Amino acid sequence: MDAIPLIQRVVAILWPSFITAGIATVLFTTAFDPAVVFIDHDISRMGLYTISFFLFWAFGAITAAATCYFLKPCEAINKARMAMSENTDSVKE
Amino acid sequence: MSKDASIAEPKVSDTKEGGSQVDDAVEQSLYAKRQKIYPREVHGLFAALRTAGVAILLGLYYIVPWLQWDGRQAVLFDLPERKFYVLNMVFWPQDFFYLTLLLIVSALGLFFVTALAGRVWCGYACPQTVWTEAFLWIERKVEGSRPRQMKLDKEPNSFRKIRIKATKHFLWIVFALFTGLTFVGYFSPMRELAANFVTFNNGPWEMFWIYFYALATYGNAGWLREQVCMYMCPYARFQSAMFDKDTMIISFDESRGLPKGPRKKTADKTAAGLGDCIDCTICVQVCPTGIDIRDGLQYQCIGCAACIDACDDVMDKMGYERGLIRYTTENTLQGKHTHIFRPRVILYAMILMGVTAGAFYSILTRTPVAMDVIRDRNSLYRETNDGLIENVYIIKLMNMDKQAHTYSLSVQGIPELLLKKDIDDISVKSGEVIELPVRVQVDADNLKQRSNEISFTLDALDDELHIVEDARFLGPAFK
Repeated sequence: MDAIPLIQRVVAILWPSFITAGIATVLFTTAFDPAVVFIDHDISRMGLYTISFFLFWAFGAITAAATCYFLKPCEAINKARMAMSENTDSVKE
Repeated sequence: MSKDASIAEPKVSDTKEGGSQVDDAVEQSLYAKRQKIYPREVHGLFAALRTAGVAILLGLYYIVPWLQWDGRQAVLFDLPERKFYVLNMVFWPQDFFYLTLLLIVSALGLFFVTALAGRVWCGYACPQTVWTEAFLWIERKVEGSRPRQMKLDKEPNSFRKIRIKATKHFLWIVFALFTGLTFVGYFSPMRELAANFVTFNNGPWEMFWIYFYALATYGNAGWLREQVCMYMCPYARFQSAMFDKDTMIISFDESRGLPKGPRKKTADKTAAGLGDCIDCTICVQVCPTGIDIRDGLQYQCIGCAACIDACDDVMDKMGYERGLIRYTTENTLQGKHTHIFRPRVILYAMILMGVTAGAFYSILTRTPVAMDVIRDRNSLYRETNDGLIENVYIIKLMNMDKQAHTYSLSVQGIPELLLKKDIDDISVKSGEVIELPVRVQVDADNLKQRSNEISFTLDALDDELHIVEDARFLGPAFK
């Protein structure tokens, strides 16, 4: 688990959510014309598509981030707490 | 050079040591900042093929939005108007089915090609490869060859270094912006967009997407490169499921190459007990993902065949036979027969052909008119002065045909239904959508229940087009 590079972690959160956001946007805007759904707001269709995409992306990223967060092994949490309370530099070992 | 050789080395040296130190070393090395890969320029058959792939694919990408067809853009996914123009066809949100079919065909095509020829998609056609090649080319033009790039990166900051780096990034950004502009040109008329771009007059959303796509291009092709393949690409992860022992892979011929070692060109390799591999590490230096193909088939290998070209070149110089690294199959390497036509390939091919034929058939025979019936949401029903029950609908008609049509509309489902509309002549031009408010009336005695099924029928007067759309007719509570 600790052997995963940072870039891979970031990508694991942002990338799958990006893909699903794209799919979700296509499905959503095909089924519902956003210009009709948000008729009260003076935003062009292009803008509404953009906003829907980023909303979907944000939701997906939050979900992915939560998943990654909860995947942390219990042992790792114990270790981190112990390391913090001891506050020594022997953590490295 | 020493850097390259060390890429493959840590594994070897780690296994020699023992104990927890090894784990620590592995952990640290994996945590370490990514080592930049400087792929060495390579010439040869496969490099030429890849350059051709880059030229054709990027050429298509940048040229297609400028093409016109019948006075409009030939390929335009007009999101604001919710119409997709592809050559002489117009697709609507109702045609979403075809997009699904297209995606299925693409996926099956990828499966088929992968089973047969391995990762040729990755090596020659993937946008990531194609744009990275273009960015590498710019980098080489500005910074020079691989050793010069490495030397420059090691140098302390100087005016010269900053000037060279700034030039590279400037060119990258210009190229990326052009890429972003072209991308948006598929969704918003290209000519207008380009004219507005130079004068900074694009709409805010278009502007946003141009810069967003440019940023993605710059980041992926300039900075992330092989990391996209390693960490972001789902295909790279599951492609092994499509591989078998008859799949074409790029492989180092161990039986011929080992034991590897340097020697003079004139030396007798058999006397020295050496194989054909002279351990020059050129195959590692040219690798865009920084692997050593001599370690065997690896997940990181994108099948670009740069190592084949590089090694063939060295073999020529040494006067050895080409193909120490070559396209081959696992079965051939083991001295067995390679089967091209095998159940997996035949199955993929059959499904692929079936779905493609089905998609073509359904596109060619689709009814070029669509009708949506939308009930007026404001009232369930109302009673007219004559005592009839009336429901109001909006009929949305789309003429997806190439010529104008006049239609007749009728309604069925309940006895003595009356259809009232304000216009008698329902004419719709090609590619036009009209909204037609209609009122449907019926005597309450004819209603058997609160909610009744009715259907609208549309017929073209000048053609054989005929479609039926169901709707609900609401009346007072059941009596």
